[in-house]
Amino acid sequence: MAELSFPLPDLGEGLIEATVLEWLVAVGDTVERNQPLVEVETTKSAVELPSPQAGVVVRVHGEPGETVLVGDPLIVFEVPDNTAGIVGTVPQEQAPKRRVRLSPVDDDDD
Amino acid sequence: MGRHRDHLVEGIDPHLFVEEHSPAQESASRPVLLLHGFASSTKLNWQDTGWIRALTEAGRRVITVDLPGHGNSASPEERDAYAPSRIRADLLQLLQDSHVIPLDDATPDSGVDIIGYSLGSRLAWEFGATQPELVHRMVLGGPGSADPLADFDLAAAQRHLTDGTPVEDASTADLLRMARMVPSHDVFALLTMVEAIKGEPFTAAEAVPHMPLLLVAGENDDRAATMPDLAALSDRTETLWLPGRTHTNAITSRAFKKAAIDFLNA
Repeated sequence: MAELSFPLPDLGEGLIEATVLEWLVAVGDTVERNQPLVEVETTKSAVELPSPQAGVVVRVHGEPGETVLVGDPLIVFEVPDNTAGIVGTVPQEQAPKRRVRLSPVDDDDD
Repeated sequence: MGRHRDHLVEGIDPHLFVEEHSPAQESASRPVLLLHGFASSTKLNWQDTGWIRALTEAGRRVITVDLPGHGNSASPEERDAYAPSRIRADLLQLLQDSHVIPLDDATPDSGVDIIGYSLGSRLAWEFGATQPELVHRMVLGGPGSADPLADFDLAAAQRHLTDGTPVEDASTADLLRMARMVPSHDVFALLTMVEAIKGEPFTAAEAVPHMPLLLVAGENDDRAATMPDLAALSDRTETLWLPGRTHTNAITSRAFKKAAIDFLNA
């Protein structure tokens, strides 16, 4: 089994954080993709976030009333090993290392 | 499937954006019409909050409409397009376009249930009172017996938009803040709606709906502080207070959704 972490997604309109209102799932729950996970409130509105992933909930971040920043971890799932790489998210430890430079590099040794 | 309805009411096309959402499984239950609040939209009030998903998963066909000047609906210039009486006529027409038929005990999918929030609850209250042969049950969220929009200080809002003069009245300032929060909203269209509502303020006792009603509000919802007065007007009313919730964040509440679905299915 592998762990897959999802951050608080970009909620649009320049919002940088959200306050957790209520978790709709708990650690140990098996959730389906698109199942409602959590209610959060921004300075603009309240929204219900659907699950981007099917799996078993391992951890949730943010108690009701706490603020989570966009991009910070929100929830961690346990998923079968062979599904961890095919959901459009590259697991951290396998992040691509090769970089391609698009502009010429000045030689320092002249 | 969104559509701009093309039927004329009183000779004018209101260009309201209407969508129908199919239930997860085929079912024989009547549709649910959702009416959003002031400065909100179908997307903000019902889609992003999980209501459409919750209702369609519960087997309900859902009809949504963006009010004039809101969401994907047009922003007409003339004030009358925003009058509550005119909106009620448009709602009646859109239900007919959606093939809603009058209530009939032998036909389980006859009639319509309505869920409203804030201004949408006010519109639902009046619509239900005038259309008892069509409306089966209603859930009214964040409701009050008075209309915060009727006390809106239009002159102060217009001054503020012109030269930045601060708005003194807290309720006006808050409503104006809401009106300007959604970049796609035309704040002048919303002020035209306020003007139209001031011309037809909410007088709950004047027309009382007599079908079963569930009134729901956050415990910390100042705008719904008069909900008990509203409940007292009708004898088939249940109320639900959501602990810790406000006018803004009551809408996503799971307890609210569950109570609404159970109440409408009863």
